[in-house]
Amino acid sequence: MAASITRVVGLAALESSLFRLSLGTIQRPLLCTSASKLLSPSDTTTPSSLVQKSTLHTSAGNQSWERPRGPRKWLVNNQTKFEPTPFGEQERPAYVCHVKENIKYSPDKMWYVACLVRGMKIDDAIHQLQFVHKKGAVAVREALEEAQELAVRNHNVEFKSNLWVSESFVGKGLVIKGFRRHARRRFGQVKYKHCHYFVTLEEGEPPEHYYPHSRKLTPQEMLEEWLESKRQRTIPMSL
Amino acid sequence: MRQTCSVFQPPPARPNRWRHRRMKEKGVQPVRPWMEKPVFISATSGTFEAYVPPEGDGKVSATLAAGAKQKFEFLEKKGKSMMAIRKIRQFDEDFDPKVFAEEAQQIYVDMHKALADFDKVKLHQMVTERAFPMVTNQVRNKTLRWQFVSSLEPPRVVHARCTDVISKENIFAQVTVRFHTKQTLAVYDRFGRLQHGSEVVAKDVLEYVVFEKHVANTYGVWRIHDKIIPDWMPPRQPSYKTYKAEEQTPEETEVAVVEEKEQKVAETAVA
Repeated sequence: MAASITRVVGLAALESSLFRLSLGTIQRPLLCTSASKLLSPSDTTTPSSLVQKSTLHTSAGNQSWERPRGPRKWLVNNQTKFEPTPFGEQERPAYVCHVKENIKYSPDKMWYVACLVRGMKIDDAIHQLQFVHKKGAVAVREALEEAQELAVRNHNVEFKSNLWVSESFVGKGLVIKGFRRHARRRFGQVKYKHCHYFVTLEEGEPPEHYYPHSRKLTPQEMLEEWLESKRQRTIPMSL
Repeated sequence: MRQTCSVFQPPPARPNRWRHRRMKEKGVQPVRPWMEKPVFISATSGTFEAYVPPEGDGKVSATLAAGAKQKFEFLEKKGKSMMAIRKIRQFDEDFDPKVFAEEAQQIYVDMHKALADFDKVKLHQMVTERAFPMVTNQVRNKTLRWQFVSSLEPPRVVHARCTDVISKENIFAQVTVRFHTKQTLAVYDRFGRLQHGSEVVAKDVLEYVVFEKHVANTYGVWRIHDKIIPDWMPPRQPSYKTYKAEEQTPEETEVAVVEEKEQKVAETAVA
C-alpha cells in the first residue's frame, strides 16, 4: 500500500508525512504556546532557560506511545563519566560522539565518504569534503561541523581545530519500498534508502597510521620479511 | 430440580455502543473521563522583596567602628524583618534567628556535599523545587570535590519576609542568611581533567543565601531557595581554558542602528 502511494503522491510528501507520524516523538513539538504563557513565571529571577519548556506532564496531548526508532545507543557514549586522573598520569583526551540520522543516501555509497574521512584532522576533513562529488559528502560535512561545535560547547574542548576523526562509519536507515513496472508484465522493487552517519571526534593529534596493518614498511622491516621468507624455504630430500 | 439458593448472575453482556445509543436518544451527554492532575505548590517561584546587601560588606573588619555598626544594624530594631520573624513564630514557636543561622549553615554544608555526590534524594530535601535546576545545571557529567574548611564569621540572619500564596493562610517564609566561609572547590570534567578551581587552594566566600519554609504546612522544612549575588561582588575566578567570545551578529547591530536613528528623528520632530 505504501508502494502505490509512493508513486502517486511523490516521495517527498510521503517522506514528510511518515516522518511526522511515525518517526518518533522527538521531532514533534510538545510545547503549545498558550500553555507556555500561563506557566512562565512573571518574576525575572528565574532565567528564561529554566522556564518550563515541555508540557509533557501537564497537558492532555497525544496519549499514544510510539516505539523509538533510529540509533539509540550511540549518543549514550557521550554520557560516560571518568574518574579524575590521578596525579602524575597522562590526561585522557576528550571525545564527542555524533550521529546524523536518516540521510537520503545509500549506505553502500556513503561508506566511501566515511572511509575517506577516517583518521584525518577535522579541518582537513572538512576542506576535503567540500570537493568530493558525492551527495553524501554534504551530510558528512554538516555532521562534522555540528560535532565540532558540540565538542567546544559541551565537552570542554579548548581548540576546535585540535580534533581528529577517530571513528567514522555508516549504518542502514529507513528503507521505503516501492514497485516499478517493467516490460512484458514484469515488476521490479524500488528501494528508497536512507543511512545514519556516525562519527567520533577525539582531541589531540591523529596517529600517523590509522590502519597499522596496511602501512608502508620501513626498509629494515622489509629486509626482515625478505629474510624470513628465505629462511622458511624447505629443501626437499635434504639431510 | 430447580436451584433454591441464590446463584451469582453475571451482568448481561450488552455492548457499550447500545448504551451510548440510548443516551443519545435521551439527550444525555456521555460521561467524560476524569483526567485531573493534582498540583501541590511546595515552593514559591522567586524571592519576595530580596535583600540588598550593603556595598563593602565583608571587606571591613568587624573590630573597627564602621564594621561594628554594620554588625548590629538590624535585628534589634522594629522592621519588616522583625514582623516576619514574629509571623514565623506564630507557626514555629521555637524559632530563634541565632539558632537558625547555625542550622542554616549545616543545611548549606550538607547541600554542597549532596551536590558533590549528586544524591538527588538528599538534594531535594536540602533545596526547593525552584532552586533545584539552578543548582544542578552544570553539574551533570562532572566530578565535584568540595570541602568546607572553616567559617570566618559566624552565620547571621540578615533579612526575613513572609508571603502568602493563593490564600491568606498559606504562608511561605523566606529568610536570608549571610555566610562568610573558607571553602575549596575543584570541578573535573567528564574525562577527569581539572576544569575549574583547585583541591588545595582555599577561597574566602561571602554569600547571601535565601532559605524558604512552607510554615503553614506542619511538615515544612527549611530549604535553600535562592542566592543573592550583589552587583559589587568581584567576578569569579576565570576558567583555565581560553574561549571565543560571542560576537554580536550583524542583524543585532543593524537593529540597534535603526532604533537609534528612529530615536533621533523623534527628538528632532519634538524639537
